[in-house]
Amino acid sequence: MINTFFNSGTLDSAGAFFASLLIGLAFGVALERAGFSSSRRLAGIFYFRDMAVLKVMFTAVIVAMLGLSYAKAFGWVTTENVYFLHTLYAAQILGGLIFGAGFVMGGWCPGTAAVGVASGKIDALIFLLGAVGGSILYNELYPMVAPLTAADRGVVFGFESLGVSEAGFAFVFTLIAVGCFWGAEAIEKMRNGVEGYWNSRFLKVFSALLVVGAFGLFVVQTRPVPVQSPATQEQALLTGMQEGVDHIEVQELADRLLGGDPALVLVDIRTPAEFGTFHIRTALNLQAADLPAALVPHKNQGVIVLYSNGMTHPAQARDSLARLGFNNVYQLTDGLQGFLDTCLKPISLRDEPVSPVQAAKIRAWRAFFLSTPPPVTVPTTPSAQEAASLTPEVEAEWLAQNFSRPDVKRIDLRPQQDYNGGHVPGAISLNIESLRGCINGIHSMLLPATILAEHFSLMGIRPEDTVVAIWDDKQQDATLVGMACERLGHRRFAVLRGGFAKWQREKRPVDTLLPVVTPSHYPVPEKPDSFTVGAKEVLAAMGKTGIVILDVRPVDFFTGKKRDEARGGHIPGAINRPYTDDMEKGAGFTALKSATDLSAIYGKLIPSKESPVILHCRTGHQASQTYFVLTRLLGYTNIRWYDAGWTEWAARPELPVASESR
Amino acid sequence: MNPKPYSNPYLVGVLLGVTLLASYLILGAGLGASAAIARVGALCESIVAPAHTLASQYFGAYGDQPLRYYLVFMLAGVFGGGLLSALLADRCAIRVERGARCSSLKRLCLALFGGLIVGFASRLANGCTSGQALSGSALLLTGSLLFLVSVFAGGYLTAWFVRRQWYD
Repeated sequence: MINTFFNSGTLDSAGAFFASLLIGLAFGVALERAGFSSSRRLAGIFYFRDMAVLKVMFTAVIVAMLGLSYAKAFGWVTTENVYFLHTLYAAQILGGLIFGAGFVMGGWCPGTAAVGVASGKIDALIFLLGAVGGSILYNELYPMVAPLTAADRGVVFGFESLGVSEAGFAFVFTLIAVGCFWGAEAIEKMRNGVEGYWNSRFLKVFSALLVVGAFGLFVVQTRPVPVQSPATQEQALLTGMQEGVDHIEVQELADRLLGGDPALVLVDIRTPAEFGTFHIRTALNLQAADLPAALVPHKNQGVIVLYSNGMTHPAQARDSLARLGFNNVYQLTDGLQGFLDTCLKPISLRDEPVSPVQAAKIRAWRAFFLSTPPPVTVPTTPSAQEAASLTPEVEAEWLAQNFSRPDVKRIDLRPQQDYNGGHVPGAISLNIESLRGCINGIHSMLLPATILAEHFSLMGIRPEDTVVAIWDDKQQDATLVGMACERLGHRRFAVLRGGFAKWQREKRPVDTLLPVVTPSHYPVPEKPDSFTVGAKEVLAAMGKTGIVILDVRPVDFFTGKKRDEARGGHIPGAINRPYTDDMEKGAGFTALKSATDLSAIYGKLIPSKESPVILHCRTGHQASQTYFVLTRLLGYTNIRWYDAGWTEWAARPELPVASESR
Repeated sequence: MNPKPYSNPYLVGVLLGVTLLASYLILGAGLGASAAIARVGALCESIVAPAHTLASQYFGAYGDQPLRYYLVFMLAGVFGGGLLSALLADRCAIRVERGARCSSLKRLCLALFGGLIVGFASRLANGCTSGQALSGSALLLTGSLLFLVSVFAGGYLTAWFVRRQWYD
């Protein structure tokens, strides 16, 4: 992913302003060279006299679209590092219709008018003055027209709206553009009697290049999912077996794991006991029967490698998965034994001679696979933190430096009277309980996205804002705001390290002013979040190998020695890691332990970063902190949150409880 | 001196497309022009009525320094680039462009009124031909593609009524 100014939250820095100026220069040159400093030429398209607007605009859209589509396919461009405009049907259709009328009357649009003024057109200057007036008019009428902008659909793509493939949509779009170019040339030829580019070699080559470029998207975007009859499918399996395409060599696997290939999912299908004795580092432990369900998130994405001691079981499992539509499953040639012999056997014990290059490789493999995972490194200097995208835990120093930014929304979670006595300048006061309520008879549940979006709107938070939560004595208050952000799909969220206590101790500024808040229209996500699970899912996961149920309550509640709900004890098979153990005392404040320490601790509890984990506590509050630690600080990717927690589990007698001390 | 002919529209389109791509990859946002005009509007209004402007729902979000915004710098660049290119092609001349049967006053009135409408519509649609039709469509965003189609629909519906200002 490219680190853009938008991604690092520095679009208002001098660097971004300078870059914008340069991009603007190129933009201005292009518009002028196109002849868009003439309103007659611009308006020509509406009278079928001069089709330059169509040719230039459509070419630019297609060229940029192709570039962006490839960038998206390669993962360089995502919704995190690029600002995608939202779709608001009423505002954009009505706005477009009015805009079109103004465009043909005035003869300009905002960008071309700036170029028109540069080339001395008085009408362009008058047009711009009118546009300034129109903007002021909009501001004055905003309370009346705001309802038109209320139904924000978020980021919606045309291919989603039509339910077609991205590459197919882009290809048809390109074909329409090429058709329009030829149509435009034909119109100009008929109307003005000038040959132009009609039937020219240039236009033929140009059209062909665009179409080929668009066609290439099918190759990079779509992963082949062949629909085959059982017979041809079996034939393909047998042919694949004969040619060995379903195998991955041990050296290749070792190198890819050493290189930290994120696309690779390694699965050990032996028994948990064997797995516990030794397994290839980063491997998940799954039993054959659980494979289809557990591997669904990786179906036809990346590479799944199965291994066992030998090759029979992985081969059978691979074929079974292939029949279920998994096209990305491979088995390890020669199995675990082959891996041990080829990669990890000490050089001194080998019968065959080993070349120096091979010896260096073996040493690197042994160092990697026979050691414990290294701690996750975190940037420590402020400059390194700024260079990377937003860190999940921001220092008081960072917040103090970013006061003037209207897109940094500070939320103070302390009691209201403390807030009134002095707070971080510009901070909004929020009672964390206002984000929770009784749902399906279970109290203290995080509210649905619709209500959370309403709360965010009232606080003036917009999707592009960075939310920083300032906590009092409970960091889980801040991380629960984080859960609300997660439910709304709001990724730009951070916790103030050490909370208000550290801020105060460092004698940072406080004031008693009420902040100015402009309500926003926070969009409601179309789909429910994917991380919240209920008792049913927890029950299904219970006793499954490879799925960790992590109870973050204090030890005495876990063992059943103490209880504050209908029953004491814990979910059978759950493991205990009290959330308070992730905190440590600093000078006058408490804060999370270092990521290095936390990584070592959780590395022992959870098999891999991709392992499925279900977190819970009593009400979902404390577990939100562990959720934050695992997903945001340590990069775990498959964490679920059982919000209802022990409150529900204990009160439903049909759910099993274990209460012996462990 | 006679102005030089315009460039090949397709090649200029490629230049414009590459510029847009660079904007996305460097800034993380597309091209834009109308936002800068709105910010000049906010500045003008805050000179006349500072408290009212800061308290207003729409311009209030711009803060007390509305021109500190990347798209303001981009529009300044557009003007600079346009001037450079026009000077090199001998296309700089102070005049009002209009049809033979249209008076300057009528043309300027239409320009002012058209500008007013465009300024308003750009805010409503959250962008103009640059920000929505060009930048948004390149990302294949539904709303931006609809805006693009709507602009042409609105334009063709109105064109007949104002044809006299350019063509006789």
